[in-house]
Amino acid sequence: MDVLQGTLDLMVLKTLDAMGEMHGYGIARRIEQVSEDVLQLNQGTIYAALLRLVQRGWIKSAWGVSESNRKAKFYSITRAGRKQLDTEAKNWARISSVIGRLLQLSTRS
Amino acid sequence: MFTWLSVAASRIQAIFSRRRMDDDFDREVEAHLELFAEESMRRGMTRGEAYREARRHFGGVTQVKEVQRENRGLPHVDTILRDVRYAARMLRKSPGFTLVAILTLALGIGVNTTLFTAFDAVALKPLPVKNPGNVVRMERWFASGNQGNGQYLFSYREYLDYRDHNRVFSSLVAASWLFSALAELPGQHGKLTGQLVSENYFSDLGVNPMLGRTFLPEENRTPGTHPVVVLSYPFWRVQCNRDPQILGKTIRLNDTAFTVVGVTGEQFIGTGNPPQIPDFWAPLMMQAQAAPGQDWLNEPGSRWFQFFGRLNPETGIKQAQAEMIVLARQFEQAHPPADKTIAVTVERATYFGETNTLQFRLFIAMLMLVVGMVLLIACANLANMLLARAANRHKEIAVRLALGAGRGRLIRQLLTESVLLSLAGGAAGLLFSVWASRLLWIGIQQGLQSFLWSKIELVVRLTPDIRVFGYALAVSLVTGIVFGLAPALQSSKRDVSAALKEEGSAFGQGVRKSRLRSFLLAAQVGVSMLLLVSAGLLVRGLLRSETAETGFETRKVFLLYFNYGSDPAKAHELYKRAVGRLETLPEVRHLTLAERPPMSGTWTPPVRVDTREGRTLANHVSSSFFDTLGIPILRGRTFTRQECETEANVAVVSEAAARSFWPGQDSIGKRAKLDMNFRGKWVEFEVVGVAKTVRSANLSRVDPSYFYLPAGTAQLNTILIRTDSDSRNALTPVRTALAALDKDILPSLIMFSLEDGLVQKQRLLAKTYGMFAVMLAVLALALAGVGIYGVMAYSVSQRTREIGIRMTLGATRAEVLKSVIVQGLRPVFIGALLGLAGAAGVSTILKATLVFPGTSDMFFGVSAFDPLTFIGLSCFLGTVALIASAIPARRATKVDPMVALRWE
Repeated sequence: MDVLQGTLDLMVLKTLDAMGEMHGYGIARRIEQVSEDVLQLNQGTIYAALLRLVQRGWIKSAWGVSESNRKAKFYSITRAGRKQLDTEAKNWARISSVIGRLLQLSTRS
Repeated sequence: MFTWLSVAASRIQAIFSRRRMDDDFDREVEAHLELFAEESMRRGMTRGEAYREARRHFGGVTQVKEVQRENRGLPHVDTILRDVRYAARMLRKSPGFTLVAILTLALGIGVNTTLFTAFDAVALKPLPVKNPGNVVRMERWFASGNQGNGQYLFSYREYLDYRDHNRVFSSLVAASWLFSALAELPGQHGKLTGQLVSENYFSDLGVNPMLGRTFLPEENRTPGTHPVVVLSYPFWRVQCNRDPQILGKTIRLNDTAFTVVGVTGEQFIGTGNPPQIPDFWAPLMMQAQAAPGQDWLNEPGSRWFQFFGRLNPETGIKQAQAEMIVLARQFEQAHPPADKTIAVTVERATYFGETNTLQFRLFIAMLMLVVGMVLLIACANLANMLLARAANRHKEIAVRLALGAGRGRLIRQLLTESVLLSLAGGAAGLLFSVWASRLLWIGIQQGLQSFLWSKIELVVRLTPDIRVFGYALAVSLVTGIVFGLAPALQSSKRDVSAALKEEGSAFGQGVRKSRLRSFLLAAQVGVSMLLLVSAGLLVRGLLRSETAETGFETRKVFLLYFNYGSDPAKAHELYKRAVGRLETLPEVRHLTLAERPPMSGTWTPPVRVDTREGRTLANHVSSSFFDTLGIPILRGRTFTRQECETEANVAVVSEAAARSFWPGQDSIGKRAKLDMNFRGKWVEFEVVGVAKTVRSANLSRVDPSYFYLPAGTAQLNTILIRTDSDSRNALTPVRTALAALDKDILPSLIMFSLEDGLVQKQRLLAKTYGMFAVMLAVLALALAGVGIYGVMAYSVSQRTREIGIRMTLGATRAEVLKSVIVQGLRPVFIGALLGLAGAAGVSTILKATLVFPGTSDMFFGVSAFDPLTFIGLSCFLGTVALIASAIPARRATKVDPMVALRWE
């Protein structure tokens, strides 16, 4: 299943919010695991999302050392990011409920 | 909310740290792949398999990196930077072309920037005061329409009235016209220039002294009680030898001892209009002591002061103007003047006052047009050079088009190159203009000093400021686009397959492109021909001005001016006594009075003889005028003393007037009517004498028609004396006699001979015009020469193959040479014809202004179609064009046919 346009940013934000500091590979793995491998990302696309979020000031990055002692870039959510996540999550809930209802309507026999 | 700001900031930052961010991301991706691979290997994959798996899962590594790069920075800026780098590389590759182009542009832009620097210094630079933006100068407009310095003068009574009643200025400052005072400094004496100012002049304008203090409020409360002066920096530096102990010393000015309380800083060069620094400033309450014999403070009509206002923060110029008009009207109702003021305007204060008049703007516009033409030639030249280059680059361009570059993208690339060139040229031009504007100013300054009788030194700042930089930048950018656009459009239009196939098809070179080149060539030849001929005519005039004779004595005739005081009755009494005393001096051979001395202003009333009407020069003079100036009376007689005192209705006319109004007749006893006030006050005069025609209105032409009318001491106040020798020593007895008459005369006494004071000024004016024109013309000629050479050289190189074939087929060298030159010179010929027509038009317009008898003739009588100038300079330009095209043409004939055929 492909990722819906724009939702990747939300997923990244939520992941960082829930898990704390993570590197790009970790985030990609995490999203795949949570979706129980329903979502198949080209893992490279995660970096476009990360760049967008950094530019907007919602997450920040710093070089660190991974659990396997490898140098990697770690991302963490900022205060502005949490606020944004909050708004986006509410939006998402509203929209998905609307879409859910809409889809139910359309199954009229 | 501020998200876009954060995005913009990070994108801009990305531009400057491209390489670092690239490395950073490379390492990040590498870490990603390794982390992935590690995990896979833990699940038992081999190293190779694990990495392959990681890459597959990641997607295209290069694409991801590319996307990252694009999203990180500003794609547009990136392209521009890339274009600039590429353009710089292209220009470095052909240093010869680049150098010639930059020099050409430097001259063109430099000349324009020089003029703008002068304009900026004269009309735009604010005064050297604090917050100059809200300091305004007041100007009055007379009901009579009189214009000039009088518009900037106000009385002290007006000052008090406006200061106390206005609600638009936070402060109002009065500064007098500059005056001279006799001074005794320790160990020396002479004349100093002074300015009387209100006590808030320095404090409210925000000018701080370098030494001591400026004036205190109590120093301007009571007349004559506070003899203090502030010295100007130049005076302190030169005359006082930078004396650090100057404070507290005294200077005797017109017999009153003034104490020095301060010295202004080097930066303060006065408040302009005219832009001069006085030697000292004194409180205006000291007027009776500093400028004795006059009263500047009590008469409502005694106008000696300029007003400066500092606008309230919330007040606009319009509001201030409205308020001033009301105040001025109220003041004039209480004190009705002879010439009513219909409006008082306020304008931002600059160094010169007259810069907002239409005449000044027209003058500047005309100069801008001329120097703009030089820039235009430079542009045409460069456009041609670029066209030639673009033709050489057509394969490169075709390849780029074939590889998918859009036309817009190519045009942008080519324009980047031309703008880069013009910016480099602009920078060089700016340097050139710093040097040239200094030179220009020194020229103007020397001119002024050699013809102004008092030691007037105009001070302006010529350092380029933000406006000059802005102007140079704007001109460069526009220039770059102007000369780059046509070639860019032309060369990017190329049909891809045709260009790629065009191996050695020199015959098929786009005809339209060569047409554009010819047009540009013709245009620049035309403009330089126009400038050349105009300059030629001015130079012929200049040569004539050196030898032009006035026809009357100028070296032994001296003009006398002095201040008679402000009380009219007393002034007239003093004047009559002065005339009486001077007439009896043995050193004074003749003395005459005149309304206007020669070469200083004209009066040109309408004249009517029978039914014919015209205009003539006219002047009121006393009986001894012709003796004093040595103008022979050819027939009839001069005026009697009686006729002068009664202002009888008789006239002496010039021979030219007699011939034009009474051709073939004796004019003695004939009658003519003059309109004395331009509004139909016709008075009839009887001709009693005919005087030799001279050049009295100005040196540039013989007076077309002149009426001398009699008048006496009641009406005339300029004194002219004739001495036996032309040395200034002859004037010592005159000075002594006048000093004996009244000691207050000497400070304001000015004496100069007609030659030094007035005639030289006219010769100098011709010289200035001539030199300026010659400089521009030489520049234009040089540019056109380079232009012709460039185009010819290019077209010959394009035709090498064709020439080779012709020569193989038996054409002789002479034939080839002829065909190349004839073809190349056709646009030159057309351009030169157009230029000649333009020059004839310009000079005809200038000549047409001579219908008015008072206008001066810039060409000093040289015909508007002077054949020597027109034919001579055409030949000259033709020779230059021939040489410029013969050099490359000769090269073409030396071509070995075999080489030529293999060429390309």
